[in-house]
Amino acid sequence: MLGKNSGKYWIMKNNLMSWLIILPSVILFAFFVWVPMGESIVMSMFKTKGIRLERYIGLEQYIAVFRDPNFLAALRNTVSYTLWSLIIGFFIPIIIAILISETTRMKGLLRTVSYLPNIMPGLATVLLWRSFFSAKPSGAFNVLLSYLGVSPRPWLSDAGIIIPLIVVILTWKGAGATALIYMAGLAGINPELYESATIDGAGVWKRIWHITLPQIFNLGSTLLLLQIISVFQILYEPLVLTNGGPDNASISLMQLLFNYIQNASSIDYGRASAVSVIIALMLLTFTVIYNSVKKRMESYE
Amino acid sequence: MSDNRRTGVIRDYDLRSKSVRVGLVFVYLACAVIFLVAVFPIIWVILAGFKELKEFYGTMQFLGNKSFLPKAFNIQYYIETWKDMKFQKYYLNSLWSVAGSIVTALIFNGLLAYGLSILKPKGHKIIYSLVMFTLLIPGTTFITPLFANLNRLKMTGFFTPLWLAAGANAFYVVLFMQFFDSFPSSIIEAGRIDGCGPFQVFSRIVLPLSKPIMVVVAIYTINGAWSDFLLPYLVLDNKYRTVMVKLFEYKSANQTNDLDVLRAVVFSILPPIILFFFFQKKLTENIVTSGIKG
Repeated sequence: MLGKNSGKYWIMKNNLMSWLIILPSVILFAFFVWVPMGESIVMSMFKTKGIRLERYIGLEQYIAVFRDPNFLAALRNTVSYTLWSLIIGFFIPIIIAILISETTRMKGLLRTVSYLPNIMPGLATVLLWRSFFSAKPSGAFNVLLSYLGVSPRPWLSDAGIIIPLIVVILTWKGAGATALIYMAGLAGINPELYESATIDGAGVWKRIWHITLPQIFNLGSTLLLLQIISVFQILYEPLVLTNGGPDNASISLMQLLFNYIQNASSIDYGRASAVSVIIALMLLTFTVIYNSVKKRMESYE
Repeated sequence: MSDNRRTGVIRDYDLRSKSVRVGLVFVYLACAVIFLVAVFPIIWVILAGFKELKEFYGTMQFLGNKSFLPKAFNIQYYIETWKDMKFQKYYLNSLWSVAGSIVTALIFNGLLAYGLSILKPKGHKIIYSLVMFTLLIPGTTFITPLFANLNRLKMTGFFTPLWLAAGANAFYVVLFMQFFDSFPSSIIEAGRIDGCGPFQVFSRIVLPLSKPIMVVVAIYTINGAWSDFLLPYLVLDNKYRTVMVKLFEYKSANQTNDLDVLRAVVFSILPPIILFFFFQKKLTENIVTSGIKG
């Protein structure tokens, strides 16, 4: 059937058929992702009433957002969440991965169990932790501390520790899944590297420092970027645990956006869009800088 | 892991040294701590659900009664909460939302990946870059116009927007594409030479070979749709509310007691946990091979 002359016709016909096959999916992506992405930018430059665009006002929404005292608090906190997650959240998965990789017995069980928190619905985990850290003496954490003779404390209403505490909760949920990715990286390290290092007289610690860590450096820098992007959009935890309190001490940028869509008193879609554009711009800028710094570091090596 | 050879930093020959053997004991101790930290909160919440209020709050009042274990494992409390909170309705709604999402997630993301990875029609690269770009852009940042559009088109209320949204998931497209990319091109060519068009190649060759990846995407979709909160909360009518939307009501729940909330938490985490134990091998293996988590 495939004569020389009909070849071109076949390719054209199949091109058309191929586009027909992917068209419904492309339409869905356009409707749910790509068009709203563009509209976000348009909407952020309009005065809105409900879902209606009233009139073009340029960058006024952005100025209003920057002047909102909640915005400064949210920005400061979001940066603080991110920094704390670098201190707590970045290293723990690496440590877990190295530890579990050193085991031989029960390795499968350990991998499974450390991944378990990650499959629990985010909202459910947050409600669980709210009760766990409850200020009441019956709060599980206070009970645990009472074994050590420490008196109960209102953990979630302490402005000084609320952000690191939320980061600990985030880490509990995500660390095992991230560790699993590191374990895949660790398993890929050529054992001959360890053997030749041993012949050169390197002990276990030296091998970790000079072989293991450099070998997962690239993986780590990618996961670090993904982690920063996801922590930057933190919403459920402050929303449910503290509702942004005490006194805005834990409000996040995404929560500000959520308030602009949902709180009857502050509903403003234009402003919500402006917040989302600000978040997206910050993350994009950060990603570009991060990647160019990474590239420069690699070219120096 | 029946294979007991050492694959990490510590090699078999290191075990001759006593300090390494002692170190290995500490490694196992640390792993025991990891294990406990991961499961303790989950066990705690399940145990707390068996308690009655007085028992739960009274844990500190009498010394010696600080136990995390309930006095009796009385399933009655769980049943009462289930009935009082009408959880059956929310479970059914969640099941509807999940079931429809699986169908669309498999069909639309699968077909798009088939087009981008095997058919590659003229101009497919534009769509490919857009999908990749979607992976980079934070999903929650375009929720506002999406919500406004759904309202404008009167699509809110029922599950339809949730179902359709599951069909536009860049992460699933990439999973499918990675799988399709590993097909040897000869089997696709063979189909083409036999005169199959794009549809027949899909239904006769690609689809029968794709069961493993479909299972993985289906599991991710079940978990994602079950756990999703923001879009369901924004679009669903009261009567179609899902388990997660119901849970969110407990955010400022002064009218419900703490134990009802904890039992509701247990109801909401049980299906994913059960699913996980059935399919954990597939999921953890997929993360190890593809390097991405959901």
